Amino acid sequence: MRIRVAECTVRYEGRLNAFLPMATRLVMVKADGCVAVHADGGAYKPLNWMNAPNTLTEDDDMWTVLNPKGEKLIIEFGEIHFETDLEMGEDPGLQKDGVELELQRLLAERPETFGVGMALIRREYPTPIGPVDLLCRDGDGTTVAIEIKRRGEIDGVEQLSRYLEFLNRDTRLAPVRGIFAAQEIKPQAKLLAADRGITTVEVDYDDLRGSDSEVMKLF
Amino acid sequence: MGTRTPLPILQGLLCEVAGGKLTVTGTDNEITVRTYLDVEVTEEGKTVIPAKLAADAVRKLPSGAVTISSSDTEVEITGNGPRFNLRAMAVDDYPQIAEPDTSQAVEVEGGMLTQALAQVGVAASTDDARPTLTGVMFEAEDDLLRLVATDAYRLAVKELPGVAGGTSKLVPYRALRELARTVGTGKMKVALGDREASFVTDDGRLTVRVIDSEFPKYRQLLPESHSNRLVVDKDSLLEAVGRAALVAEDHIPVRLAMQSGGVELSVIRQEVGEATELLEGDYSGEDMTIAFNTRYLTDGVSAVADDKVVIETSSPLEPSLLHGAENEDFRYLLMPVRL
Repeated sequence: MRIRVAECTVRYEGRLNAFLPMATRLVMVKADGCVAVHADGGAYKPLNWMNAPNTLTEDDDMWTVLNPKGEKLIIEFGEIHFETDLEMGEDPGLQKDGVELELQRLLAERPETFGVGMALIRREYPTPIGPVDLLCRDGDGTTVAIEIKRRGEIDGVEQLSRYLEFLNRDTRLAPVRGIFAAQEIKPQAKLLAADRGITTVEVDYDDLRGSDSEVMKLF
Repeated sequence: MGTRTPLPILQGLLCEVAGGKLTVTGTDNEITVRTYLDVEVTEEGKTVIPAKLAADAVRKLPSGAVTISSSDTEVEITGNGPRFNLRAMAVDDYPQIAEPDTSQAVEVEGGMLTQALAQVGVAASTDDARPTLTGVMFEAEDDLLRLVATDAYRLAVKELPGVAGGTSKLVPYRALRELARTVGTGKMKVALGDREASFVTDDGRLTVRVIDSEFPKYRQLLPESHSNRLVVDKDSLLEAVGRAALVAEDHIPVRLAMQSGGVELSVIRQEVGEATELLEGDYSGEDMTIAFNTRYLTDGVSAVADDKVVIETSSPLEPSLLHGAENEDFRYLLMPVRL
């Protein structure tokens, strides 16, 4: 990641022509070749940007960024206030909500929560469209894909349905049935799950954690 | 208004001036509050002002009359000298808010309802992972309205006799706790619809989406009778639990050793020390020691309206029932902590 904070003008030539007059801006050149020019405001949208792949040519105080479509970003620098270059390495991706991740860990340790004889095959079992939280085998030897959410809503059922479609194409695993687990599952999500032959299970985070074992509940 | 919303317009308040009244509307898309204020109107119109900034600005003005005027792009707030010019938000972007259907509404005394809600609300959960437990159940019976809330550790029930004719719905307590300071405590119409619950007074109205899920079957939890009964002074008990809580913090339970003549409260925390206190009271039943979470016990005792509080118990592992010595229209069922 190369970062430069400097006075600059930016000219874009491509589908249309655009010009940013001289001002202080942050210019980022990412490891994959993406270039972004930011002002001092707004959370995510740069003033101007070029997605990778790009070719960056440096010529004294002028950078020319060219992409295969012939679009061009020309940045002319004045005073440079700050510049750094660092190796950031691979990003681990978006972390799940703490409770959701913890639920997944606890349920992976206690697959019997989902039925007698249930055994874990692996956590985060990969499918072509992303990993399913738990892949298990039930007492009858049937493969079970389990998706875990903090709050069980329709989009979670949709997500599990897509995983099941891919998993069932794998002859080594098929037939694969689904379990949708959450602390609380909305009635609409239960209905959709039932319609698709997916079992729904509401799990108690406190019980699984066991930390509240001396604290008893009314129900 | 919405504080964490993807729609920036919801961070604004819709202000409408017409017929000698200022109507202010705020919504986070779940809860909508509309309030009315008599004002001196120079010119009718409407605008959307940035809520937090405008409220802070008005609060910081010297006391006296405040003048708010707006053009298409700016809102000017003045009062006794200072002047704020705030950028107005687009009126057309503000969501259309329908008037609630109050044709089936039940009329109640607002003060009585908000007080009852405060009593049961302590038992409502704040964990939005289980929305069902964050609500207060409005249960309509032939001749009374019953309010119920539970977070699975305790359950509070309040009966309002003479309030009849409504339906049964689960309403988020997050909205109900705002009733008193938004729409006031005067005569209130309560309309419980399939999608929304509305609370309407002369000062304004609050509308909230009802929780669409099944409330726990709680009736079987309320025991017919208990074998042991302790009657103590409410304030003395609260003070004693408060002292015990100094040692207990939140996670150590307070033990109640119930015996003839009263109850001994104690907290033992290995690494810190202990607190013990004898409280006089009337006790009938077998000598028994039971332990409670200090906060849950305090919440329940505080919610009792009488001067004397009754704690009914059966065993150290079964739920206890708290209520007033005179009135049992409020009951608080509390699960003990295993010793």
